[in-house]
Amino acid sequence: MVQQHAIKQRKHGKAMTSKVNYSRYGYFFVAPFIIAFVVFTLYSIIFTVQISFTNLTNWRLDEMSPVGIENYKLLLDPSTPVGSGFWAAFSNTLIIWVVNFVPQLLIALLLAQWFTDSRLRIRFQGGFKVLIFMPNTITAATIAILFYALFTYPIAPVNTLLQQLGFMHQPVQFFRSVSFSRGLISFLQWWMWYGNTMIVLIAGILGINPDLFEAGLVDGCNSRQMFTKITLPLLRPIMLYTLVTSMIGGLQMFDIPQLLTQGDPQGATNTVARFIYRQAFFGSYNFNYAAAASIILFFIILVMSLLLFYFMRERGTKLDRRVGK
Amino acid sequence: MKKLISLLLVMVMMLSIASIVTAESEKIKLVVWSFTDELQGILDNYYIPAHPDVEITYVLYSTEEFFQTAFPTMMAATPGSAEAPDVFALEADYAKEWINSDHTAPLTDIGFTEEELAVSVPSVVDFGRDPNGVAKALSWQSTPGALFYRASLAEEYLDVEDPEEFQELVKDWETFFETAEELNQNSEGSVKMFNSIGDIYKPFFYQRQTGWVKDGKLVIDPAMIELMEYAKKAKDEGLYNMGEQWQETWFAGMKTDTTMAYFLPTWGLHYTLKPNSGGEAVGEGTYGDWRMVTGPVGYSWGGTWLGANATKVKEADDAKKAAIKELIRYITLDYDFLKQYAKDSGDFVSNIKVAQDIVAEGGTPNDFLGGQDHYQMFSESSLLISDSTTGYDGVMNDLFTRFALTPYLNGEVEMDEGIANFKTEVKTAYSDIEVD
Repeated sequence: MVQQHAIKQRKHGKAMTSKVNYSRYGYFFVAPFIIAFVVFTLYSIIFTVQISFTNLTNWRLDEMSPVGIENYKLLLDPSTPVGSGFWAAFSNTLIIWVVNFVPQLLIALLLAQWFTDSRLRIRFQGGFKVLIFMPNTITAATIAILFYALFTYPIAPVNTLLQQLGFMHQPVQFFRSVSFSRGLISFLQWWMWYGNTMIVLIAGILGINPDLFEAGLVDGCNSRQMFTKITLPLLRPIMLYTLVTSMIGGLQMFDIPQLLTQGDPQGATNTVARFIYRQAFFGSYNFNYAAAASIILFFIILVMSLLLFYFMRERGTKLDRRVGK
Repeated sequence: MKKLISLLLVMVMMLSIASIVTAESEKIKLVVWSFTDELQGILDNYYIPAHPDVEITYVLYSTEEFFQTAFPTMMAATPGSAEAPDVFALEADYAKEWINSDHTAPLTDIGFTEEELAVSVPSVVDFGRDPNGVAKALSWQSTPGALFYRASLAEEYLDVEDPEEFQELVKDWETFFETAEELNQNSEGSVKMFNSIGDIYKPFFYQRQTGWVKDGKLVIDPAMIELMEYAKKAKDEGLYNMGEQWQETWFAGMKTDTTMAYFLPTWGLHYTLKPNSGGEAVGEGTYGDWRMVTGPVGYSWGGTWLGANATKVKEADDAKKAAIKELIRYITLDYDFLKQYAKDSGDFVSNIKVAQDIVAEGGTPNDFLGGQDHYQMFSESSLLISDSTTGYDGVMNDLFTRFALTPYLNGEVEMDEGIANFKTEVKTAYSDIEVD
């Protein structure tokens, strides 16, 4: 068919060429993005990979020379100071992310279920959704400053309030406690993102064929059964999406720890992204370690994402398939 | 008719644009990079009116952006480009790194002689020298620190009547902390000697014999260990307000009867203590109740230095070189400018003669300090400063505070453990410093 068309085109020569060839406009329209992407993203990524195999520190581009996989060896070896810093930051990040994500998914799921349950018919749904989503619209910097001011020492709203209520006699240095500092960061991550997750899950639930719920109703399912037998199994792809995006965001966590605690107390809230940033723009500006750590982080995220896909893949029984399709 | 008028107007406009363009092109263009608007004020209000033949392009960054990304990138990649600075400002904490680098031109290369520099306070000029003693940067200000204390509280709890008596009670650190204990007892804990650990950090820092890094090796001076010991004692016995510099409690201590004294430099008097005293005239708030003494040790805090871009100096013709020199000379050494600036702003300038003359002309009796002359006091203390700063100070002080001092104070670690953690962090941050 295509060939025929081309032949026809050639035959009719003149008449055909006067037609505008729209397809090239497509290239024009995507060109700005492609150019910006190649210059600012692709090149940076390639250069980062390159740096990670060199000894580049502190902008000394003229002294840059390849060192093979030395940087990777150093970072992956927890007995070196840089390596131990990297793995400590990695475990901090993981702890903070897990503590934030588990409740985030559970509460978002619960809220999504309530908002979509046709039996509950919650009033002022729109208002609630806006309120729940609101924290996501505030910048991390604002939130960090707000909470720093709330919990600072010795004179701050929380310290004063707790003392006046008689819960304690002395002001407490909240930010010197490891579990409090990590907990607060997890809480802020949760608070900023559970609304977003909820909206995604609501969209997922609304995407499920209503016939299935009606059939459930007819068969006498209660709300719980509908949730566990219909909603949850069919929501799996959306939950996988939420899990993977949240994991990527969580492992790259930077703004709140940087602005709220600066890694204190004693580096307990130092995240991988912060570690990379500090390697690159602090001390002797170890661009080589920062680049190698970025690449390692990329592979960790890649492997963890693949694992998630593997464990959450559809391994349906016959019944599941029948319901799902 | 309308067309004719509009044509005329267009021609007039083009003519004026052309004249501007030709006029501009005759000017010498200088690019100045800075992290402080203080310098912009000096350029706009003093330098530019006095130098109509120079056109300044002023580029302002935040301190972090300037020293962590913008400036190092520019100097590494294209230090000779038109956008690169001819003259740049350096902040005290980061200055040494750049003074020691080849990117900053020796002042002799742009035509300065050592005699010219001698009009400035020695510690200020010395700060601008690299390890070989080559002068590379100059400053218009000297930032000696002093100890400011509350006269009424000192009289009530310590029976002190004048600054000389108070100085006796704070003449060295041992006496300083004894006084702090006495004050705590006499006031039954309501008044503390100082507000935060950050307050005593700078003075201890200047007590050191050796800087953080010597011959590529990390050195922890005994003064820093002493600081840890004294700070721990102060924390355990509740000798300070447990505040934190630049936070609520710290500012609150300036207007309430909770803090006896603050270690502050020249700019701290005018821009920190005075505006936070809770008043604008004697009798309001703590205004007029402050006195100043030298304290246990001479120290310096902050300051801005000017340096010239070595690459651009090499490429510059004589006229431009002269313009670069004149810019630095005028702002940092010129007697008339500095005197005027000192009078207008109250800033303590680095020119020794200006400071002496201001004192001789009746000085600057300051009603905020109960009539004490801060210019005279600062002139005295500016000569006490001994310099042990290195290019590593900003980062090292941050790491030392976070990983050794603060955890030790709070009883999270023993001293050895804190020092060891600090060393590990230094190793992590610097791949090129030897740490034992």
